[in-house]
Amino acid sequence: MSDAPAGDRKETGAGLMQYSPEGMMPFGPVHPSLKEPEYFKLILEGEKIVQVVPRIGYVHRGIERAAQERTWVKDIYLFERICGICSFAHSISFTQAVESMSPFEVPDRARYIRVVVAELERIHSHLLWLGLVGHWAGFDTLFMWVWKDREHVLDLEEGITGNRVHKSYSTFGGVRKDLPEGIGAKVTAELGYIEKRVAYYKDLVQSEQTLTVRTRGVGRISQDTARKLSPVGPLLRCTGIGRDVRTEDPYAAYDEVRPEVQTSKDGDIASLLVLRLNEVLDSCRMVKEALEKIPSGPFKVPFPRTVPEGEAAFHVEAPRGELFYFVKSAGGSVPERVKIRTPTMANLLTATEMLKGQTLADVPVVLTGMDPCFGCMDRVSVFDVDKSKEWSLSGEELRDYGIEYYRGRRG
Amino acid sequence: MRRTSADPLQRLSAKLGGALHPERRTTLLTVDPSKVEEACLGVASLPGLYHLSTITGVDLGDQIGILYHFWEGRRFVTVKTAVPKTAPRIRSVAGALPAATLYEAEIQDLFGVAFDGNPYAGKRLLLPDDYPAEAPPPMRKEADPEKIRRMMKLE
Repeated sequence: MSDAPAGDRKETGAGLMQYSPEGMMPFGPVHPSLKEPEYFKLILEGEKIVQVVPRIGYVHRGIERAAQERTWVKDIYLFERICGICSFAHSISFTQAVESMSPFEVPDRARYIRVVVAELERIHSHLLWLGLVGHWAGFDTLFMWVWKDREHVLDLEEGITGNRVHKSYSTFGGVRKDLPEGIGAKVTAELGYIEKRVAYYKDLVQSEQTLTVRTRGVGRISQDTARKLSPVGPLLRCTGIGRDVRTEDPYAAYDEVRPEVQTSKDGDIASLLVLRLNEVLDSCRMVKEALEKIPSGPFKVPFPRTVPEGEAAFHVEAPRGELFYFVKSAGGSVPERVKIRTPTMANLLTATEMLKGQTLADVPVVLTGMDPCFGCMDRVSVFDVDKSKEWSLSGEELRDYGIEYYRGRRG
Repeated sequence: MRRTSADPLQRLSAKLGGALHPERRTTLLTVDPSKVEEACLGVASLPGLYHLSTITGVDLGDQIGILYHFWEGRRFVTVKTAVPKTAPRIRSVAGALPAATLYEAEIQDLFGVAFDGNPYAGKRLLLPDDYPAEAPPPMRKEADPEKIRRMMKLE
């Protein structure tokens, strides 16, 4: 295998083999049982990445097709299973898309409850990401601290919805059950703790050399690139474009509980760290504000089992950015077509731009920096066409390589 | 917001011989497949509408519908077209709107529409390498998952 000339290798990805003089490194795919395996072909010139070709689909399970054969209600729980981190974003995007096609109004209390859970989800998603960046940059203490703190948020989510991950909470016409008694005091206490910790982390990521040396000026994207490639969420906002679905196209109760859009000008991983932590602080404020303002009344209205004929496009601001649903109904008990565009799909091309010009040692941090659903780069093999040599690195080895590389540069 | 960009949209629609349907959240601009690139560029150059949310493929029976969703403020502007299943071919907009690259590649894999000029033309983004060439694209109505599994010798 390793002796075969490059031209003879079977390639189905987009235009790769014209890069044969440089080294080529297949990156991924990881084991399908892990988070989100994807495959990047990295074309290297020495240490430097000159071209990146993504090839995805390793865990494409045909959910859009499966949805066409299930009833509307069953689809809510199917779509939640697309992502184990932002499952609630999927369910509110789908339920609100369907609600927008019918004449039924969702009760105010349900709109507020959706904001509470969606913002709690954003807090835990951003904290999970911060821990992963710490891990891939070789700062495991941060990883353990942050993931311990994240448990407090998961406990709150479990307290409200009954589940930590797949919440099965939002449904057509509202949410499935009311907020438990006395949750307000508990949320305020726990979020007070989170706010204190996040303020400390914000200080830490800007001063601790372990992180600054790996993130400042790394994975830089410009505003022009962002306009061209239409990334979403923090990746877009870190270039200074303050687009957020929650403010521009408010859904649920976001027109009454307004978020403050966080932006940054630097467009590198360091600015993403601060930006996401600022978003966590803002989300804490919003959860408390929503719980204060929440009106009493019903939390659900009865909703028919069929959806009137029509089409609807709907999007929400998931923790990673705009999550888009297109729903088409033929008036029956199953959807005619549901199209889902997840934020990582929109950010993939931007991530390839971020990798260009970086070194091999920066790959783990840059790819984690975009907050894909894959922090678990499991199996990496390196292929150097010049030397007809192939060797393999596990994700952990690549991480160690990055840490050693930077340790060497610092002397 | 609606007032400022409604007029340019009408002008664009008239110029391309399309039809404009303002709906509650979405303004639909239906055009002929040959005019799609011009329509998308026209929409994307309007103030605030540069964000291409995604491209959707829909099986319409004899045709494959292709919808380009652009987002601005509280609405989407969707450029809508359809290509016949007998000749599923359309020009790519990825040259002018690079954000479309992966969305087009997805429709190419799942609906079998060829996008001329897309970097992934003739290559695969989502489907496995051993997906049988004689099997219909998996999101088409005529595709039977059980049959495809048998063709791929998965059972």
